[in-house]
Amino acid sequence: MLKNIRGLLISMFTVFKHLFIRPVTLEYPEKKIVPPENFRGKPVLGNCIKCMTCTRVCPSGAINIQKNTFNIDLNKCIFCGNCAYYCPINCIKMSGEYELASSDKSDLNLVYDINKTGENNV
Amino acid sequence: MTNIETLKLNLGPQHPSTHGVLRLILELEGEKIISCKPDVGYLHRGMEKIAEKLTYIQYLPMVDRIDYLAGFFYSELLCENIEKALEIELSERVKAIRVLMLELNRIASHLLWIGAFLMDLGAVSPFFYTFRERELVLKYFEKVTGQRMMNNYFVFGGVRRDIFDLGDVKDFLKILKNKIKDYERIIDRNPIFKQRTIGKGILEPDIAFNDSITGVNLRASGVNLDFRTKHCLYKDYEFNPVVLNGKDSFSRYRARVLELTLSASIIEQTIEKLEQNGELKQTLIKPLGLKLPEGEYYSEIEAPRGLAGCYIKSTVEERPYRLKWRTGSYYAVNLLRKLLKGVYLNDAIAIAGSLDIILPEVDK
Repeated sequence: MLKNIRGLLISMFTVFKHLFIRPVTLEYPEKKIVPPENFRGKPVLGNCIKCMTCTRVCPSGAINIQKNTFNIDLNKCIFCGNCAYYCPINCIKMSGEYELASSDKSDLNLVYDINKTGENNV
Repeated sequence: MTNIETLKLNLGPQHPSTHGVLRLILELEGEKIISCKPDVGYLHRGMEKIAEKLTYIQYLPMVDRIDYLAGFFYSELLCENIEKALEIELSERVKAIRVLMLELNRIASHLLWIGAFLMDLGAVSPFFYTFRERELVLKYFEKVTGQRMMNNYFVFGGVRRDIFDLGDVKDFLKILKNKIKDYERIIDRNPIFKQRTIGKGILEPDIAFNDSITGVNLRASGVNLDFRTKHCLYKDYEFNPVVLNGKDSFSRYRARVLELTLSASIIEQTIEKLEQNGELKQTLIKPLGLKLPEGEYYSEIEAPRGLAGCYIKSTVEERPYRLKWRTGSYYAVNLLRKLLKGVYLNDAIAIAGSLDIILPEVDK
């Protein structure tokens, strides 16, 4: 009996100690996590050479390349990073952008103009 | 003899403590369980059938989702199979990196289990404490691999990028050692926890053997069987598998806590190795048009929830002809038929929780 009470007191005391430590969580909308360098967030496109490697390694068929457009469907994308890893000229990059929720499904269908250079595509 | 009416009770599929969507069809006589029938398949995603539609490289990211708490083990299995088929030797550094990631993953998985198990028994605080430590592991994964749980880090013939910031791992191990003492103080001495676990859910070694139970559940029944000792990645490591003789829920809990320290000691050995040989040498396999030679391939590894295996049958095509997974939890679910017979309903959750069942792994 005494042993049990002692055990309870020790465990309660250990829990009680946690009242005085600093919080480990972030208050999300006010403070945001800075993702690390290699983070796999929203994929962005640079100068594409239409080698079609990315369409062949993509597991979910999220990438669709037409004559003038490069289309990444984030509804299908599973952010595995295969496309970025196997791109021979590293033109697809997984950016650090992670707040991708949208109330409109068509916002998630990223259409890039393949002829434009740089990352100024919309 | 009067006929006693029995009550049929569905535990789940959306019960918070079934860790996913497990449905147990219980037949009760008063408070006593007469029979238990697990009903699985609510989380079936057709992982094995999907493999027949996708090329090997397309299937690789999917594999992390078989068991989301220990994704590294399953990508290791697929990579290992393909390396076996193409006869590729891994360099020492790649092996060390893989062991480091696997063991960190094991720690993360066991930490989550400790929290969730205690939550099943009604203790809420330890859940937050174990998640706090697990977060450190996930942060390191995020730094190195790019994502917290769906890592997709191992590739055929190596790893995606070299490892860095080993100091983080060392710091984590130091923190973990202190925290394990804390857990022991909170949990091991708690009389309520002891009463609900000691002597409950006794798993005899012969039943465990016949039901193909592996992993911690088997070792907590006094059988010394750890597949890490036979695995090619762990050849150069010195460790003794954790074997306890309690056979009950409490010893399954203790075995998992002791495995944390065991994994930590393996990680310490890997860090030594990683600091010795500096450069990452690997022969990566080109993913496009990858075809395996005709034949059957099988590899297995000790995952946190028992033996995990991957079987591939190839008929020289870009896609496997058949791919099959062997997961530890599937057998543990089936064991509930025997373990829950004759126990009281309030012990059922504690016993089911102690087996560490993860439903995505069961249903695949």
